[in-house]
Amino acid sequence: MNIPDFRFHQPESIKEAIALVKRSTDGSFIAGGTDLLVEIKKGLKSHSDIISLNGIKVLNQIAEDARNIYIGSTATHNNIINSALVRKHFPSLVNALSRIGSEQIRNTGTIGGNLCTGASCCDSAPVLMVLNAMVEISSSDSVKTVPLKDFFVFNKKTILIKGELVTKIIIPKTTQGTGVHFEKFGLRNAASISVVSVAVMVKSDRNYCIDACVVIGAVAPTPRISGKATDILKGKKISELYPNSVILKEAGQAASDDAIPIDDIRGGVQYRRELLKVLTERAVVKAVEKAEGK
Amino acid sequence: MKQIIQLTVNGNDYELAVKPGPTLLDLLRDDLKLTGTKKGCELGDCGACTVLLDGKAVNSCLVLAVECDGRKVETIESLATINGLHPIQKAFIEKGAIQCGYCTPGMIMRVKSLLDEKPDASKEDIQNGITGNLCRCTGYKKIIEAVETARDKMNGKESEKPAVHQQKATGDLSVVGKSLPKLDAPDKATGRAQYTDDITLPNMLYGKLLLSPVPHAVIKSIDVSEALKLPGVKAILTGADVPDITWGTSPPRYDEYILAKKKVRFVGDVVAAVAAVDEETCYRALKLINVDYEELPSVFDPMEAMKPGAPRLFDDKYENNINTRVDHHFGDIEKGFAEADHVREARFVGNRTYQNPIEPHCSIAEWDRHGRVTLYSSTQVVHYVHHQLGRILDMPLGNIRVVMTHCGGGFGAKAATTTLDVMSVFLAKKTGQPVKMRFNREEMYLYGRGRHKQYIDLKIGVKKDGTITAVKQKAVLEGGAYSSFGIVSTYYAGSMLTTNYKFPNYKYDGYRVNTNLPPCGAFRGHGCPQPRFAFESLLSMVADDIGMDQVEIRLKNAMTPEYHTINDLDIHSCEFKACIEEVKKKSGWEKKKGKMPRGRGIGIGCGGFVSGAGYPIYRSKFPHSNAIIKVEEDGSKAVLFIGDADIGQGSDTVLAMAACEAMGISFDRISVISADSDITPVGFGAYSSRVTLMGGNASKMAGEEIKKQVLAAAASILNCGENNLDSKDNKVFVKDHPDQFISWEEAARTHFSLKGPLIGKGHYSPPEGLGGKYKGAAVGTSPAYSFSATICEVEADMETGKVKVLNFWDAHDCGTAINPLAVEGQAEGSVVMGMSEVLLEDEVFDKKGKIINADLHNYLIATSADIPAIDTTIVDSYEPQGPYGAKEIGEGAIVPILGALANAISDAIGVRIYDLPITPQKVLEAIHSAKNKSTRS
Repeated sequence: MNIPDFRFHQPESIKEAIALVKRSTDGSFIAGGTDLLVEIKKGLKSHSDIISLNGIKVLNQIAEDARNIYIGSTATHNNIINSALVRKHFPSLVNALSRIGSEQIRNTGTIGGNLCTGASCCDSAPVLMVLNAMVEISSSDSVKTVPLKDFFVFNKKTILIKGELVTKIIIPKTTQGTGVHFEKFGLRNAASISVVSVAVMVKSDRNYCIDACVVIGAVAPTPRISGKATDILKGKKISELYPNSVILKEAGQAASDDAIPIDDIRGGVQYRRELLKVLTERAVVKAVEKAEGK
Repeated sequence: MKQIIQLTVNGNDYELAVKPGPTLLDLLRDDLKLTGTKKGCELGDCGACTVLLDGKAVNSCLVLAVECDGRKVETIESLATINGLHPIQKAFIEKGAIQCGYCTPGMIMRVKSLLDEKPDASKEDIQNGITGNLCRCTGYKKIIEAVETARDKMNGKESEKPAVHQQKATGDLSVVGKSLPKLDAPDKATGRAQYTDDITLPNMLYGKLLLSPVPHAVIKSIDVSEALKLPGVKAILTGADVPDITWGTSPPRYDEYILAKKKVRFVGDVVAAVAAVDEETCYRALKLINVDYEELPSVFDPMEAMKPGAPRLFDDKYENNINTRVDHHFGDIEKGFAEADHVREARFVGNRTYQNPIEPHCSIAEWDRHGRVTLYSSTQVVHYVHHQLGRILDMPLGNIRVVMTHCGGGFGAKAATTTLDVMSVFLAKKTGQPVKMRFNREEMYLYGRGRHKQYIDLKIGVKKDGTITAVKQKAVLEGGAYSSFGIVSTYYAGSMLTTNYKFPNYKYDGYRVNTNLPPCGAFRGHGCPQPRFAFESLLSMVADDIGMDQVEIRLKNAMTPEYHTINDLDIHSCEFKACIEEVKKKSGWEKKKGKMPRGRGIGIGCGGFVSGAGYPIYRSKFPHSNAIIKVEEDGSKAVLFIGDADIGQGSDTVLAMAACEAMGISFDRISVISADSDITPVGFGAYSSRVTLMGGNASKMAGEEIKKQVLAAAASILNCGENNLDSKDNKVFVKDHPDQFISWEEAARTHFSLKGPLIGKGHYSPPEGLGGKYKGAAVGTSPAYSFSATICEVEADMETGKVKVLNFWDAHDCGTAINPLAVEGQAEGSVVMGMSEVLLEDEVFDKKGKIINADLHNYLIATSADIPAIDTTIVDSYEPQGPYGAKEIGEGAIVPILGALANAISDAIGVRIYDLPITPQKVLEAIHSAKNKSTRS
């Protein structure tokens, strides 16, 4: 396999990186390269310029303030998994990222890359979405933050335009009583692409689910919030959210109704819908357990 | 534009000018010649290229070299020091964790980072920690054991030594029967072992093939003029430039052209070949070759292909695209079914699976100025490549040298001459320079030769007591575009059903059908695993129907020693019943079967295979295996020259053990040179599970010839008749007075001094006249047959359909296990490969016949996290035809796996799935459809 020639740049600042990509005919940023180089080698993509983000030190920092955790876009999956900060605040994110690829992939692949590839089966997005994460997007003249739920447009397509770079992922810290859980179904036990994934957030207060969010992955052109499933959970009694309960069945069905799966080598439409029901129910149960501090 | 980078590799500082495109893997292999790091899939899926970058394991194929400026790289070459091997390397060698060795360097580097980060890693940590390193040979069990051993060693603890069961037949032997590390394991553990792609010859060019993008077309024209203008391109060959000769694997079906003449028949058919200064230039040249295709209607389904009026792949042969037709009838099938109290039939469908050795095929050809050509190849069959090149080039064998390098796994994928073998020779001839050609992973799938997908209609009749009265099988094999091994596969699919159970009446109808897909060939268990899956499934169904235990029905009909089957195969040693009893006991079958909750299941499957085909692939009278042993003049060491091929299964070691035993020397006194047509006498190679028995007999015979000469020399010193002498453990002694002895090397040295070179020769041919007289009777004949039984326990998630395989208990009659460690390795590797085929593997094609999962990302094979507990037993057995009683294990061990797993899944979910692979989706659909049926009724 062969990587056709390109111009390589290794800027040291965000500003310079953005200027380089804007000046190029058909430039691309590279961070971990675990998606980009595969697509280039397979001949699915080629670029006039490749601009490495790995020389920009600020981009892989993980930090916090009173309200948020900030994860630099070139932090690798393992940087995040091993971050004490992330482990403390978002164990569900650690769980989700641990199930991406292999150790080797997690050592190089980055969270920014995972999101910007824009795959519907992206394993970092569902958890981040239920956590109300935002992405910080820098361009030559501005920095904006966009809710992650509005970031994906279609499979392999995001809202990013030429000259824009995801610089941070911002995750609001959760409050007491919040439980988040990620379920993924892959065809083998490791290094496999999600056939279906689902993340669930529930917030319990005095035996009521006062807030919830269900995000489904690999079952639509983008990871997406299942509005119906989310609505079903909100306001319900926690005691109604047990395995096989009527409400859980409804939530599973609702998530399935919100899916627009495709038929591919990993699973058919109907199978994905069935799986989604089961995974949603399981994820709600686990999220509730966590919310209840069990 | 090149950029200067500085980096540290294995403690050495380098300043290099690199282009933006190449990866760290390219830099290590091509620029620094650190070829211990292997190129497996090039897409980050297999982990063979794993190195440590700033201490962290990465796939070096997905790191741009330019990005390594200022960084620290550690490769496998850094691990061993002047003080010796690293504990991880030692443990991998001792525990039998290395077979073909191609995944080994990457695996070891990953393990190093794992133990650096987590010195007390648990077994589970290890199992989940090495999932990014695929191994196709070992089944991971011995790798995990090795990592545990290394961990303990590094923590100053000694691991427990497992108890070893010694077979009865090996009681008096010194070398045979011992679990010894493989001879080539140290080289493989350190990255020293050279595979074909690790070789760079001076002034070497690279070659690539232009493959057809369409499934079926007439080539109207090929224009190479633009490509030839590209700087660096040295030669381009098309069909017009090569001899007008067809070739292939089986002589009656030589139907492939060297390069397409007029027509292409599948996406991947070979149209042209380019040689250039580097691969990058080749790829650019390929894009500039203009081929005008006039597309023809194509056909991908064998049932459609057989219909009148279907598009024909060959106008002049294979009517209705039927490439091979077998029509066998033994006994009286009508009578047999009439005598049955119960008859059941069903259709089973297999899957199209690919061997996926971790090493891609590679060939390097070089012509000298005397008109001689040397080919280095990653092949299983030096002799057949030699023979085929002689045919194609119209040259005597003496002017062609074929050298097998280390081979990174084959499983049948490398069991015939490849396009790379042939085209590298032609391109090297044309350019006058050495030419290297290698497949990338996608090209491996396109070249094909994987397992035929079979559509099997099977019918079994039994008496009330379970006695089988008749068996009828119709198998349609989807063959792809060309014959490859297909004629043999079609015969095997039928002939081998008779070896496990006795039945008096049998009818087999076999059809191999051409389709516009990559050709299918011989994959571990050649033709047999899918019919055996069908048979074992249906036999269990029949047992359930008549209220008989599934184990009992097998014992009832089980093969016994010295039996002549209905299709004229002669079974000699056979401890099949012992295998069944063993797994029944170990698995706790009686406590479990029918007594476990829904979602949990247990199943049995059986199998076995030939210990080498009774007849060669093309007619010849040569002995099938030949050996020469040369002893050094000082008697210190023997060298075994053997034509057969060690593709990772460990045959060099096993054959050397047989030779040592025969000579009476210890295993540290032998080395092996194998599979080099100039140096080693002809051996047919590694296929049909033939090497242990045939190569073993040849090696033993050569050893015995040495021993005879050594004893004669010793007799003159010890002053007694040579018949009163024996040799063992490096001593020559008087049989009745073992205290009267001289050293073996003194005797050998004396021989040399008096009579010149101490040489022993050995050869083996199967007994003459094996098999019946009917057409196709040769396929299935063998000097000996292996037998195996396995029980599998699974847990199925009744809501998602996911199957978790918990246990395999497998027992094997492989005769004497010459090296039990290697035997276990074959058995464990077979369990995991068979499991992987049943649950995960399937080639998928789009509507235009293009494979859509030609990688290791979408075509999944089992990782270390997917494996069950495996408990392997080698039963006591002795095969008179085999060296020291040995038979095969390498292929027979996979044959029972498919049926056992299918039966266990059926037991767990209460419904049977008839087609492979058994995916979670199929499992869930089956559960749902059964539920709907039961609610309706």
